[in-house]
Amino acid sequence: MKKFIRTGNPYIWLTAGTLTICLLMICGLVVLIMVNGFGIFWPRKVVRVTLYDGTVALGEIAKRESIPHQKGSFRTKLKIGNRDVNGLDFTWIDDADIVSWEYPADTLVFERREWGNMYGFLKGLRQDGAVKPQRLEVMMPLLEKSQTLFKQIRHVEKKEIGNINYQMEKCRLESKHLERLQPSEKIQNKLATVKTRMNNLERKYREKEDTLTALYTTAREKEVVVLLADGREKIMPVFQIIRVYAPNKMGFFAKMSFYIAKFWEFIWGEPREANTEGGVFPAIFGTVMLVLIMSIAVVPLGVLTAVYLKEYARDSFIARLVRISVSNLAGVPSIVFGVFGLGFFIYFIGGGIDNLFFPDALPTPTFGTGGILWASLTLALMTVPVVVVATEEGLSAVPISLREGSYALGATKIETLWRVVLPQATPGILTGTILAMARAAGEVAPLMITGVVKLAPSLPMDGHFPFIHLERKFMHLGFHIYDVGFQSPNVEAAIPMVYATTLALLFTVLVLNLTAIVVRNKLKKWYSTGSM
Amino acid sequence: MRSLKRRKFADRASFWLITLGGAATVFVVLALFLFIFLEVYPLLTGAKISKENTYALQGKAVSVGEDDRQDVAFALYNNGIIEFISLSNGEVLKRCEIAGLNGSSVAQQNVTNLLPHAPSQRGDKGEVETFSQKTSLQRNFITSVSKDNNRIALGTNDGRILTVSVNFSESFDNGKRTIFPEISEAETVQANNEGKGIACITSRGDGSATVTAVHTVDGRLILISSEVERTLFGEGEKKEIKKDITGLIVQHSLDQSSLKSYEDKITPFAKKGNGGGQEKHERTGTRVASTSILHSSVQKDEIEITSMALDLFMENLYVGTSSGEIFHINVQDRENPFLAEMVRVSDKAVTALGFLLGDISLVVGDQYGSVNIWMQVRDAVSPSGWALKKIHTLKSHNAPVIAIAPSMRDKGFVTAATDGTIHLSHATSEQTRLNLETKSLPAALAFSPKANGILAADSHGHLFQWNISNPHPEITLKTLFGPVWYEGYEKPEFVWQSTGGTDDFEPKLSLVPLIFGTIKGTVYALIIAVPVSILAALYTSQFLHNSLKIIKPVIEIMAALPSVILGFLAGLWLAPLLERIFPAIIIMPFFILLSIVIALSIWKILPAFGKGRYRHGIEALFLIPFIIGAVFVSIQLGGVYESLLLNGDYRAWFANVLGLEYDQRNAVLVGIAMGFAVIPLIYTISEDAMSNVPNSLRSASLALGATPWQTAVRIILPTASPGIFSAIMIGFGRVVGETMIVLMATGNTPIIDWNLFNGFRALSANIAVEIPEAPIGGTLYRVLFLAALLLFITTFIVNTFAEMVRHRMKLRYSKL
Repeated sequence: MKKFIRTGNPYIWLTAGTLTICLLMICGLVVLIMVNGFGIFWPRKVVRVTLYDGTVALGEIAKRESIPHQKGSFRTKLKIGNRDVNGLDFTWIDDADIVSWEYPADTLVFERREWGNMYGFLKGLRQDGAVKPQRLEVMMPLLEKSQTLFKQIRHVEKKEIGNINYQMEKCRLESKHLERLQPSEKIQNKLATVKTRMNNLERKYREKEDTLTALYTTAREKEVVVLLADGREKIMPVFQIIRVYAPNKMGFFAKMSFYIAKFWEFIWGEPREANTEGGVFPAIFGTVMLVLIMSIAVVPLGVLTAVYLKEYARDSFIARLVRISVSNLAGVPSIVFGVFGLGFFIYFIGGGIDNLFFPDALPTPTFGTGGILWASLTLALMTVPVVVVATEEGLSAVPISLREGSYALGATKIETLWRVVLPQATPGILTGTILAMARAAGEVAPLMITGVVKLAPSLPMDGHFPFIHLERKFMHLGFHIYDVGFQSPNVEAAIPMVYATTLALLFTVLVLNLTAIVVRNKLKKWYSTGSM
Repeated sequence: MRSLKRRKFADRASFWLITLGGAATVFVVLALFLFIFLEVYPLLTGAKISKENTYALQGKAVSVGEDDRQDVAFALYNNGIIEFISLSNGEVLKRCEIAGLNGSSVAQQNVTNLLPHAPSQRGDKGEVETFSQKTSLQRNFITSVSKDNNRIALGTNDGRILTVSVNFSESFDNGKRTIFPEISEAETVQANNEGKGIACITSRGDGSATVTAVHTVDGRLILISSEVERTLFGEGEKKEIKKDITGLIVQHSLDQSSLKSYEDKITPFAKKGNGGGQEKHERTGTRVASTSILHSSVQKDEIEITSMALDLFMENLYVGTSSGEIFHINVQDRENPFLAEMVRVSDKAVTALGFLLGDISLVVGDQYGSVNIWMQVRDAVSPSGWALKKIHTLKSHNAPVIAIAPSMRDKGFVTAATDGTIHLSHATSEQTRLNLETKSLPAALAFSPKANGILAADSHGHLFQWNISNPHPEITLKTLFGPVWYEGYEKPEFVWQSTGGTDDFEPKLSLVPLIFGTIKGTVYALIIAVPVSILAALYTSQFLHNSLKIIKPVIEIMAALPSVILGFLAGLWLAPLLERIFPAIIIMPFFILLSIVIALSIWKILPAFGKGRYRHGIEALFLIPFIIGAVFVSIQLGGVYESLLLNGDYRAWFANVLGLEYDQRNAVLVGIAMGFAVIPLIYTISEDAMSNVPNSLRSASLALGATPWQTAVRIILPTASPGIFSAIMIGFGRVVGETMIVLMATGNTPIIDWNLFNGFRALSANIAVEIPEAPIGGTLYRVLFLAALLLFITTFIVNTFAEMVRHRMKLRYSKL
């Protein structure tokens, strides 16, 4: 035995143990996120719990755990919803207090535009003050109608009124600009036309407002009467409801289709209820656009540096400096880049641009405040090293014989580089770009001070000229996680949403990384079998 | 076909372009450093005078002041004339007179009518008569001044108190600003019946109440207060109290002197009156051992009051004497003021007293010229629980300090001494930012409302005006990195508290708690990450079966895991879990070790064919079920352990036995989360270093009969140690700057405490939290840039060093 220990085999097992722990932690993390992230869209049964003191609670089981310091006793965390009635979404119930558990088949879950879910039973429909008992099937067409109505309202609110507002803002800036010029007849005339335009717009605005009011009145006409668990009734407009389902009656396929619908909504929908429900489309869009703008900025700089280091620099002092700079850019904390971005890009360059090109809008800053362009550039500085390293790898993999062949045919250095070396190194550059994107997609700290917001009023890309609005603030998946999970007023109800967002972010980052690895491996194979 | 020339040109041009592109990275790093430094630099600069002017006045002014744009100044002369002077050309814009000074007979009548209301201690008719005779004969003049913002209380030679407000209203016409200075007078109050002149006055007032303390030339200290009490019906009833409180001081002084010997009797300091034409009284008499507080004339030379200050709350009156004592009189109860404390602050006269913004810190100037800040500090020994203590010492003048003017913006103030020197100082940072010279005896001093200008009048009729820029006076290296005695604290401390609820908040910008937080997080994270990642790397590089090398890229990918995900999981999933199963976490390492031993024994017993073709190198996979089992067992037994050894409640046990409080978001949690974040990084780099050790070394060692383990420990580890070192350094750099995890997984409380179970606030998280709210160019903004600069420099040094070590190692390997 002693001899066995002296060979060191037990220690090898110890080191193996650490590797196992690493692996388990990583797998555990991924599984945890997957289970929680994918699980939230699955419709869960609604339970009705009757307690000894006569209270009845209706809701989804959110969690079960043993009560600390009381052996063998359990308690259940029930999501009872009905925030407008109960004030809280969740309640804890000790098993000892429970008389009965039931799963009534006709329990309905109403997903609402406000106040979260409502759990209850359908009592009927109310129209013109009279309540008529109705079955769920009758409600469905009504729901569809209200859905169309909602779309109409959204269209008027976002597109039409948004358009008018946009034009009004332009008119305001133009008149401000004209007022600052030397007054002359021509300018007076122009001012007058701007003013007429403004008046026209205002008239249109009022018309649209009237349309909206009319739409909202129609929306409130039909109301649903819901019987709550404790026997109370709750009346709400059909328009409030997004979706109604009876989870206790659903079969597997019904659940599956529900799941897909929910998932679809998550990816393509707009956030609701202070981001705690609905979708994350604006955040996905913001992340993608951020990463794309960043890669446009980072690739030229990264590739030039790598080419310089690999092809031009001999082991000179400057080359050493460049190397140290690259490794430092990789090591400097991201928050420092954020601070630099805030001070340099936003206040210094952005403030300068505002003074030069947008003096009419001042003191409201245009570029002198956080925006997607500045955030992208900040991230670009941060990810330069990733591109440099990968491109260098790509360049080293190009066989020297290719270069020599090119030189022998009389090509200059740049011709060789441009026509022979760089095309060969493309996969390396691509790998670097993808890795840089992956890094940028997950970074949050510098964004927090360079332009990310919890809820952007409009996407950084829309139908108004010049279509891409680089000065706009944007939403981001990573920041969404932080904001919803830590800054929202109702963290407990928001956690499922955070898990789903986490999953989306993790998925994005992992897919980008895996793509990079695949590309890199392709590259290796290409050289080992190909052009030699 | 392009010409050769053009091709050559393209070649040259591209060379320069690419070189420039390469150098751009260097520029970026330099720009990063320079720009951040440029934002920090103004913190280190001093105050500057941007404009300096002298104007001629009519005579000696007793009080001066200016509007908040520094366009118009006023000068009040002792004959009751107020002149408004344009600060652009010195022209007199307006001249008014205080009507109450040589009051009309109506005003006189009012004064005498008021007297019966006041509880006078010895009101006899004769005195009133002499008073009225006196006033009818001569012109009165102002003998003392107490200025509080725009409210000026004046004491006159006939013992009255006048209150005047100076206001600057402004109007904008076609973008041009016009200022309309105006004065308004409040009712005159007769301070003493004898009509004795007022030598010293301090007064505070708000909408409904005023409190004034005066020291008369006959040595009495009188407290006058008036309060408008609103009844239920909204009618105001004015209540006036007048009280002679000389006794409080005299009696105390006698008690003291009976204890003390006569040696430390201080020669009374001949007070330099700031009112013109004040006659000096002959000092008469020796100490009379009488406790009668009414015979004030006898004791007046024993205790001569030289300065007074009353706080904003109208509760605490501080009286400085010629013998260097400060009497703290509590006047909260106007009817029954009492002496709260007597402190000796100097061995010469206390010549000037004044409060800083917020009225907590008392500036004390003495006859030597020294300037100190005193404050009420909690004190266990003192009977009231509070004691006046010296918290700051500032640069001394060379002559007695005679005037103090506080800033209305921060804890800065201006002091003037009899030799004409004026100091601009800041209490928190104990800096004297500017030394100004007038070379003549100052008569009045004022700090402009926006703290960007100083006005001083001398006794020869000059008005000096300075426009100053005094950025960031509260910052010195000492306030950033040293303990500072802040207002309301019991001792000098390291505190970070950048914003407060009120305007008179004293910003506490010590970076020490933040640096401590960063170090604490880093240490705990590295304690967890370094052993795990290096041992795992050793195993992967030396013992892992070749077909399992796929594990490495799996862990590598995890390096790309966004830290916000780790932060979220740590803060919202792990924190409550850890809190529930903490005892299990304590015993978990032992059970994992045990499970490894069990696995090893089972592996030994397992017949050779059971192991298939893998004899070695799959230990890590074989261990998976055992370690999972160990984790489960320890979670199950955690409760048992808690009830057996930790008295059933680990939090109570920690609190009672170890004296540690358990917070849900604590350092252990951050250690685990950040450890998790850097494990892949350290693992990858050190694994590279170990597997790059030339194979010849390994083979030679094995050939000489060393076991694989001996080879790994004695050959591989030492050879790869520079690489491992640089891996740790790079991991260190990553942890130091990590923001999201510390932001989400700690409570972000800036405290200095090594306790494992409470939170902290790191530099990085602090920047992320506070910079969006910090006004550009403000002190907080620059201090946050300084925090960023510290992070930058730390990581720069660490990274450069790590890079150099790695470069060296590469060279060494290539030689082996």
